[in-house]
Amino acid sequence: MKQHLYNIIVLILVVFTSCTDVVDVDVPEAAPRLVVEASIDWEKGTQGNEQFIKLTMSTPFFDNLSNTDVAGASVKITNNTTNQEFVFTDQGAGIYGTTAFVPVVNQTYTLEINYQGETYIAEETMTPVVDIDEISQARIGGFNDEALEVDIYFNDPPNQENFYFFRFEEEGDLLPELLAIPDEFTDGNRMKVFFEKEDDEDIGQEEFEPGDVAYIKFHGISKQYFNYIDLLIEQYDNAANPFGTVPATLKGNCINPANPDNYAFGYFRLSQVISVTYIFQ
Amino acid sequence: MHPKLLCVSLLLLLSVVVTAQEKFAISGTVTDASNGETLFGASVFLEGTTSGAITNEYGFYSITAEAGDYNLIVSYVGYATVSKKISLNSNQKIDFEISEASTELDEVLVIAEESERLNIKSPQMSVSKLKLETIKNMPVVLGEVDIIKSIQLLPGVTSGAEGSAGFNVRGGAADQNLVLLDEAIIYNTSHLFGFFSVFNADAIKDVKLYKGGIPARFGGRVSSVLDVRQKDGNSKNFELNGGIGLISSRLSAEGPLFNDKGSFLVAGRGSYAHLFLQASGEENAAYFYDLNLKTNYNIDKNNKLYLSGYFGRDEFNFGANFNSGYGNTSGNLRWNHIFSDRVFSNLSFIYSDYDYVLDFKSFDFDWISEITNYNIKYDLSYYQSDRLQLDFGLNAIYYDFNPGEINPTSPNSSINPLVLDQKRAFENGLYASAEYEVSDKLTATIGLRYSYFIRNGGQPITEYENGLPIVYNETLGVYEEGNAIGETNYAKSETIKTYGNLEPRLALAYQLNENSSIKAGYSHTAQYIHLLSNTLSVTPLDVWTPSGSFIKPQLSDQYAIGYFKNFKNKSYSLEIETYYKTVANRIDYVDGSDLIGQNTIETEILNGELRAYGLEFLFRKAKGDFTGWLAYTISKAEQRTPGGAAGGPGINNGNWYYAPHDRTHDLSITGSYKLNDKWNFGANVIYQTGRPVTYPDGQYTYEGLNIANFSDRNASRLTDYHRIDVSATYVPNRKPEKRWKGEWVFGIYNIYNRRNAASISFGQNRETGANEATRTAIFGIVPSVSYNFKF
Repeated sequence: MKQHLYNIIVLILVVFTSCTDVVDVDVPEAAPRLVVEASIDWEKGTQGNEQFIKLTMSTPFFDNLSNTDVAGASVKITNNTTNQEFVFTDQGAGIYGTTAFVPVVNQTYTLEINYQGETYIAEETMTPVVDIDEISQARIGGFNDEALEVDIYFNDPPNQENFYFFRFEEEGDLLPELLAIPDEFTDGNRMKVFFEKEDDEDIGQEEFEPGDVAYIKFHGISKQYFNYIDLLIEQYDNAANPFGTVPATLKGNCINPANPDNYAFGYFRLSQVISVTYIFQ
Repeated sequence: MHPKLLCVSLLLLLSVVVTAQEKFAISGTVTDASNGETLFGASVFLEGTTSGAITNEYGFYSITAEAGDYNLIVSYVGYATVSKKISLNSNQKIDFEISEASTELDEVLVIAEESERLNIKSPQMSVSKLKLETIKNMPVVLGEVDIIKSIQLLPGVTSGAEGSAGFNVRGGAADQNLVLLDEAIIYNTSHLFGFFSVFNADAIKDVKLYKGGIPARFGGRVSSVLDVRQKDGNSKNFELNGGIGLISSRLSAEGPLFNDKGSFLVAGRGSYAHLFLQASGEENAAYFYDLNLKTNYNIDKNNKLYLSGYFGRDEFNFGANFNSGYGNTSGNLRWNHIFSDRVFSNLSFIYSDYDYVLDFKSFDFDWISEITNYNIKYDLSYYQSDRLQLDFGLNAIYYDFNPGEINPTSPNSSINPLVLDQKRAFENGLYASAEYEVSDKLTATIGLRYSYFIRNGGQPITEYENGLPIVYNETLGVYEEGNAIGETNYAKSETIKTYGNLEPRLALAYQLNENSSIKAGYSHTAQYIHLLSNTLSVTPLDVWTPSGSFIKPQLSDQYAIGYFKNFKNKSYSLEIETYYKTVANRIDYVDGSDLIGQNTIETEILNGELRAYGLEFLFRKAKGDFTGWLAYTISKAEQRTPGGAAGGPGINNGNWYYAPHDRTHDLSITGSYKLNDKWNFGANVIYQTGRPVTYPDGQYTYEGLNIANFSDRNASRLTDYHRIDVSATYVPNRKPEKRWKGEWVFGIYNIYNRRNAASISFGQNRETGANEATRTAIFGIVPSVSYNFKF
C-alpha cells in the first residue's frame, strides 16, 4: 500500500511535467561484492528436490553485468534440526545445484558458502503459502477501468502475521514485475491482487489482450525476507524520485562472521510457491 | 519553579517602569491615506532627538519624551514623509494617515522598497521584511505572485527540490519553520506540491521572516518564523482587485463596513488549467482553490476587533480510481485593546487545521490524516520610556493529531479499518522581553520564554524490552523494531510526558556611527512537534507528531553576529551576518524505514543532531528607478545520528553527513527597473550548489532485475542549480479619472531553458534492460502572461 501512496505522488509529478531525460552521471564505485541469489522455491505439491543457487559479483552501476559469474565456490545447505547437508555443485555460469534437497515447512536451514577464503552464512525458515482461491480476469478495477487485468484471490489466515511475494511476467517480457505485501491492513480477509499493464509507448508496453500469456508466481515469505524484498522493490521502482524515500544500502541475510564488513548482497530465502500460467480470454 | 522565576523578573522590569517622571507619551496609529490599511514598520520620531518608535503589526506606536515643542515626523518607505508640530505637555493621541509618494511630484523616485530601510539601531537582526509591492515586482513562474519563492531569494533561505513544498532557513529543515498567517499556524505552505504558495498576494499586507534572533514572543520552531499578515481591507472605498492568468485567476473585494467603523476583505483564487486538459481528453486533473477573509470593527478609540480566516484546498484526480486532496483551514479572532498611551494589548483566539485525504477506488479504501490546533494568545507591549519597551504575554496551544485513519469504502474491500493512535498535546508559553537603550550607542533586547509541553493521554503507549523501541541486529547489521512487551493505557485525564524549557533570547546593537552598526544575537529555542518525513522532499502525506515518551523536543542554540551599513543617503545598504546553529534531538530515519500507517514511529527513528553555520551577504539598493538586491550565502548544514541506546553504528556509521538542505553556495540577484510610467522590468538571477543526494555505488542481478546498491546517505550531489527569470509590467495609458486600472504582466521563467535536475533517478530501462540515470526537470522555460486589474 505504501508503494501506491508514493506512486501516486510520482504520478502527479509526471502529469505535471513529463520533463525527464536520460543523462550521464558520475557515480561512486564501490569494490565488488559477492551476490547470493539463493532462492529455494518449493513448488507446492511437488518434491522440491531440485534447487539452484546463483552466485555473481556486483559491479559498478553502469558496467555490463555479463562477466560476473562466480566459479569455484563451495555451497551447502544444512537442515538445522536434522543436520542433513545438501551440497550444491558448480554447474557453470554461476549456477550451483542439487537434486537431493528435502524441503520441510517451517524448518530452519543454514546456507554456507566458501569463496576465496571467505565464509558466508545465512539462516532462514521455509515459509508455506496458502492456496489461490480464484483467478480471473476483469477490466473494471485495477488502475485503469478499461484495461484488462488478471485478478488473483486468496484467503489470508486470520490472527497471524503473513507476508506474500508475487512475481508477474508476461510472455516475451524482458523484466518481471515484483510485488510484496503484508497482511498488516488486511488480516483474515479475502485478498485480491491484480496484474495490469498500461499502454506506454516510451517503454514499448501494451495493455493485455485476449491470448496474452501471464506467468504468475505466488510465494509465502518470512517477515525478515519481506523487509528485504519490500525495500528492494521500493528502491527499484522509485529510487531517488523527488518524493521517494532516501535510498539505502540493502542488506540481506548473507553475513560474513569473520569479516562482517564483507557481507554478501542478495538473500537466502526458502519459500513455498504456486506458479500459474494465465491466458487472457 | 521556572514560571515563578519569570514572574519575579517581570516584577523587576515593572518596578523600573514606576520610576519614569516628567515625561509624556504620544501614541496613535499610522495608516495609509488611500485605503485605511494600518502600516507596520513605519518610523515615527521627534526631529532632533533620539526619541522614536516603529509601528507594530497593528500600526500602533508610542513615544515618550520630556515636555517641550517638537516636530513629529512620520516616514515610511514609499510614502511621503509627514511632519507635524506638537507641544508636548500632556499625553496625546495622534493618528496619521500618510500617502504613497507620487512619482510625478518627487525628485527622488521611490518604487520598490525593501524592508523598512535598514534599521541600524534596532537590536533585531537576521530579519527580512518584504512588502507585497516588492514581491509583486519580481518575475514569477506561471504568472502567479509567490511569497515563498520570493523569500527564497534572501540570503540564508533555500528551497527543496524544484516543485517541492517548503523552504529551508540557515540549514534548518522545512518543519522547523513556524509559518503564521494572521497568527494561525499553517502546516503546508504549498499548492500543487510547491508550484504555488498558499498565500494569495492580493490578500497579504506584509511578510516578515525571522531567520534567527527570534523574539521571545514566538516559540515552537527552531529555525525561523515567517509572519504573514493579511490586509485589513480598504476602509475608505470599495475596491476590486483581480488577475487573470493562464493557470489560475484571482479576485478580491474589499471595502468599508459597519458605517465606516470597519472594513472587510474577501479574496479567492482558483486554478483552471485542468479544465482545458479534461476537455482535451486528459483524465487526470490537479487543481487548487483558496479563500481569504478578513474583517475588522472599531468598537471605539481603544478597542478594535479583527476576524480573519483562510481556507485552501488542493485536489488531484487520476482517472476514476484515485482521488487525493489536502488543505489548510484557519480562523482567528483578535481584540486589540489600548490600555493607555503606553500600553497596547492583543488577545487572539486561533484555530488551524491541516488534513490530507486519499481515496483509492482500486483498492476500496480511503485514508485521512489531520492535525488540528486551538490557540489562545495574549500579548502586551508597554512603551515605558524612550529608552525602554517591554513586551510580555502568554499562549496555550491544544493539538489534536490524527496520524492516519484507513476505512474500507466497499463491502468487498480486502482492507480492514484501521485508526492509528490519536495523539493530544498542550504547548504553553510565557514570555517577557525588554528592549532597552543602554546608551546612545548601545541597545539591547533581553527576552526569556518559558515553554511547557504536555503530552496528554487517551492512547496506549507500547513498552519495549529494555526500554528500546529500536535495536541494532548485530548479525544482519540492520536496525529492527524493538521487542514489544506490553502497553500502558493512558486515560485522557492522564499525562504521558511533560517537557519544560527556558528559552533565553538576547540581542545587542552597537551603533558605530549614524550609518553603521554591529549587532549580535543569541537564541535558544525549543520545538515540540515534528514532521515525520523520510522522503527527499516534504510531501502532503507527511504527518506531524508530538514529542512524548520516545521523541524528545528539538532544542536549538543559535549565535549570530553582523555588520550593517546604510550609505548614500540610505539609498544602499549592506548587511553581513554570520551564524552558528546547533539543533539537538533531530531525529532521522533508519535505512528502509516505513512511516506510512506506522503506529509506532519510535521503532523507525534514531535521535541525532544537526549543526549549521554560514556567512550571509546582502547588498541592496532601495531607492531610485533601479532597485533590487544581491544576496550571497556560503554555508554548511550537517547531521549526525549515532546508534545511541539502540546500539550499532547509527546512520552513516555515526559520521556527520550533509543535511538534505545543505547548499554550499547560494546566490540570488533580483532587480526591478522602472523605465517610465508604462513599463517596469524585473529580473532574477539564481545560482545554487546542487543538493546532496544518495547515488548508487554498485549493481547486481536479483530476481532478473538490476538492483542498485546505494552509497552513504547524501554523499553525492546533484548538478548546480541556476536560472534567470525576467518580467515586464505594462500599464496602459489611462485617464486619471477612470477607476479601472489594469496592467499586463509578461514573464519568462528560466529564460535559457536550463534543465535543472529536481532529481536524478537510477533505474533499468524496461525496454532495453540497460541501467540509466534519468533526470527530472520540473520547469524548463515557462512564459506567462497575466492581466491584473483594480477597480
